This record gives sequence, C-alpha cells and structure tokens, in this order.
Amino acid sequence: MNEIMICADELSVGYKSPLIKNICFTVHAGEIMTLIGPNGSGKSTILKTLSGHLKKHGGAVFLNDRELDSMDQKEKAKKLSVLLTQRIHSDMMTCREVVETGRYPYTGYFGVLSDTDRKAVKDAMKTVEIEDLSETDFYSVSDGQRQRVMLARAICQEPEILILDEPTSYLDIYHKIKFLEILRKLAKSDGIAVILSMHELDLAKIISDHTLCVKNGEIVSSGKPKDIFKDDVICSLFGIPDELYNTYCK
Amino acid sequence: MDRKKIRCISVFMLLTVLTAIVFVMNVFIGSSDISPREITDVIMMRSSNEISVGILWKIRIPRALSAMLLGGALALSGYLLQTFFHNPIAGPFVLGVSSGAKLTTAFVLIFAAGRFLSVNSFVMISAAFLGSLISLGFVLIISQKVKNMSMLVVCGVMIGYICSAVTDFAVTFADDSDIVNLHNWSMGTFSGMTMDNVQSIAIVTLTSSFAVFMLSKPIGAYTLGESYAENLGVNVKLLRIILILLSGFLSACVTAFAGPVSFVGIAVPHLIRQSFKTSKPIVLIPGCFLGGSVFCMLCDMISRTVFSPTELSISTVTAVFGAPVVIVIMLGRKKGSVNE
Repeated sequence: MNEIMICADELSVGYKSPLIKNICFTVHAGEIMTLIGPNGSGKSTILKTLSGHLKKHGGAVFLNDRELDSMDQKEKAKKLSVLLTQRIHSDMMTCREVVETGRYPYTGYFGVLSDTDRKAVKDAMKTVEIEDLSETDFYSVSDGQRQRVMLARAICQEPEILILDEPTSYLDIYHKIKFLEILRKLAKSDGIAVILSMHELDLAKIISDHTLCVKNGEIVSSGKPKDIFKDDVICSLFGIPDELYNTYCK
Repeated sequence: MDRKKIRCISVFMLLTVLTAIVFVMNVFIGSSDISPREITDVIMMRSSNEISVGILWKIRIPRALSAMLLGGALALSGYLLQTFFHNPIAGPFVLGVSSGAKLTTAFVLIFAAGRFLSVNSFVMISAAFLGSLISLGFVLIISQKVKNMSMLVVCGVMIGYICSAVTDFAVTFADDSDIVNLHNWSMGTFSGMTMDNVQSIAIVTLTSSFAVFMLSKPIGAYTLGESYAENLGVNVKLLRIILILLSGFLSACVTAFAGPVSFVGIAVPHLIRQSFKTSKPIVLIPGCFLGGSVFCMLCDMISRTVFSPTELSISTVTAVFGAPVVIVIMLGRKKGSVNE
C-alpha cells in the first residue's frame, strides 16, 4: 500500500460551533477521495478545515505524520494547495501570471521567479494543456479553461495534497471530463492525494477511490464507490423520492 | 513577456523624466518674475539677490518638494486601500480617512496648541494619524456588514462629511488667532511649506513607502484574495493590520501638512495600472509614488499659476482631473460585470 498522505481522526469541524463531528478518513498517495452530499451539508466546511482556513473544533488532521496545527504556514504551503469556489481578483493578469502565483512559497524575498520556478510553471501548464493560453488575459478565457489555469496554479505549488471545492460545477460535460481526467492522471503519476467535493455522481463514481457522504452535519456513510453509488444510498443521502429517482436518475 | 518588460521600463523612464520636468517647471514658474538665468544662479548658490534667494529656497523649492513627496504618499496610500478592500474606487479621501485626519489635526491646532503643547511636525502627524485610524476603524466596521463596493464608498463619503462638519463647527467657534492658517489648510494647499517641514515629510513618507515596497510579495498574493494568500503561506491577519497602518500613516502625513487632498489616491493608481498593464505590486508601488508626485506637482502648479495671484485650493484642481477618472472606472466596471 502507498504512503498515507492525509488522515483525519475524529475530526470535528464548523464555524462558531461544531457542525460535523467524528470525521475519520485516510487518503493514500495517488488516491482520490470525493465528498458528496446535498447543498449546505458541510462539504466546504470540511475542506476549509483540512486546508487550514478554518480552525478545527476537535480531533486531529495529519499530513504525513505531522499534525496540521503544528506546522507553520510556509511549511503547509509547500505540502497542500487548493482550488476554491471563489473567484480570484486578477485584474490585468495573464494566465501565466495567475499560474505563477502558485510558486509563492518557493520564490525569494521579492518573489522574482528563478529558472526552476519558470520550468515548474511551464510544466504545470503543459500538464493541464493550456500552454497556448500563456499570454491570454485571465478574464477573457472560458470557465473550463479558467478552472484548468487554477489547477495549474495549484499544481505548480508542488503539493502532496490537493484540495478542490466543486471544481467541475459550471463546466460543460466535455470540460468536466477533461478536468477530471487531468486530475486522475496527475494523482497517479505524481502520487498526489486528491480530495474534492462534487455534485456529478456519475462522474464521482468513476474517479473516486473513496467517497464520503455528508448530510445534515453528519458523515452518513463512507467507503468504496461500489458500496456508495447504489440506488438506496443515493436516494436517502439526497432525500430523493422513489418515483422521481426512477424517472430522472435511472 | 518581453513586450511587457519593455512597456514597464519605458513607462518608468517616462515617469522619471516627467517628475524631473514638472519639478523644474514648478521651480521656474511663479507669480513673481524671476529670469531663468537668475534662478540657475540661485540654485548654484551664485546669486546675491536676497529676494530671489528667499523666493526660491523658502517658497518654491520646499513647495515643489512637498508636493512631490506628499503626492507620492497619497497615491500609495490609495493603492494600499484599494488592495486592502479589493475595491478600485477606495482611497483616503473617499473613505473619509483624510477628513478624519483633518478633524483631529484641527482640534489639536485649535484647542491644544499654544496651551499644552507646541505645534511641531511630530504633534501634527500624530494627531492626523490618530484621526485617520479612527475613520478607518469606522470604515472597517462598515465593511464587515457591507460587501458591495459602491456602498462602502458611499459610507466612507458620509463619514468624511460628518468629520468635515465637526471640523467646520470647531473652526467657526475658534479664536481668530487660532485659525489664521487653518482655513487655507482645511481646504488643502501646499503653500507655506518650510524646508523643516520638507525634512519631516521626507523622513515619514520615504520610510513608509520603502516599507510598503518591501512588502511587495505578500501584497501580490493578497491581491488574489485572502483565502488563496493564506494557502500560499501569507500571514493574512498581520498583513491586513500592516496595510491599514501604513496607508493611514501615509495619508495622515499628507493631511497634517497639506490638508485633505482629493482624488489623487483613486485616480493615480488607476492611471498607473492602465499604463503599466500589470497588477504586480513590485512595479505598481514605485509607479504609484512617481505618478502621484507628477500629478500633485502638476496640479499644484496649475492651482497657483492659472488665476495668479489668486491661488486655488489644491483639491479644486485635483478633483477636476481626478473625478472623471473615477467615473471612467465605474463605467468600466459595469461593462465588465455584464460580460461576466
């Protein structure tokens, strides 16, 4: 079995008060874990806690063998990168410049890029197939391209763990598949542990190694995709009545 | 990439040359007629004409220098506030920061000066700094509740009006002897600067600006958005505090010496961004300083020469050039949001 990259032990998360308690999971190098569940169930809250944006309410998160809280911000930045739902403020930035911001933890005092940094940026853009957008203004690219630019930004931060909050929402089906395929290859080739939330169950079933189902502030089930993506589990997770499920989801 | 570099270098050269030219014009042009030869002589310390020496070394040169330094400080302060609020129309004047500084400074001048303490640069800057922080505090509280950028600015303008009203009230009931210079100052002017003033201004603005420049890298990450900056390893909370303090300090220095000066803080960073076509702080920070210098010296020259010997207040001129820029930004934003 591969090395354990990130693991949560009886973690409880939330804003002012604990929203979800007793979260336990382990993600190995090269694995993809998906979070599924209704809107507002707390998927983002879990992801924000894992990335360190929110303080946890109890339990522990380990990156490799280190407790998340015991690491300083710069150390964490070299291990974990994110793709969030909020848009970045990027007036007058080309796609390449957006990707370059991912090199922040590695550059010197004034943030001037070295040859190594430039190569990492180039490689990351090649991995997500956006080399031709290099000098294009970030605002003028399509949603699908924008998500790939943001993915390249996250990749060139050279993370061991990648956390993505609904990265495929708002993309058309081709760009959804394309994005996930890049992610899948990346996890396998670079041994990155990927954690993402998504709403596309059919696609989640295919790319997940492991799935957490979140509902009403609770992990209702977790396991391998073949055990999760079953009619009865999905119906009860999202509260879909049988007749609707039979009409629309079969 | 190369095209961007060339653009960057040529805009910097242009700004430097403009700064030099406008400075020289400020020294050579004035209400009293002194021949260029005489001026050169005075500057080279070869002239014995005491009137010319006095006009140049006591009036024109300190005034030009202070317009240069304070203009830069004001533009930089605006840039920092825009970065802080992710809002292109934020600035020390529209957010009420200048008016807050004006309020406390006026109070110190009227009530404390001559009774408890003597008015020196340090006292003036401290009072202005306190006032600007109080205004910023209110703006920060409002910004927690109001996410809309135009609403935040409207609230800032209201804070500014309240501060101005209180200042006017105090000025109205002050002894005449206290307010000899207060009226001019409260409208905003670069006149009456001494070389001693210039020295204090230089120390404060140049060190603060240097500090801002040294923060280029984290400011660049902060521009993306707080969450991303945090993930990149920036201590966002600390950076926010430093940004607010530095921008308050820079605009406080301007208000302490020249009174409230409008629109430089919004207009200059916008024009600089447009000319450099970049969002990199390492370019924009020195760019804004130089741009503010040119803008303020130019406006000051217009304010004292066009209707000479009557002098306009500096804000009259900066508003004429600066306010249209704000309108352009607002229109541009609207178009952008439709496309999104």
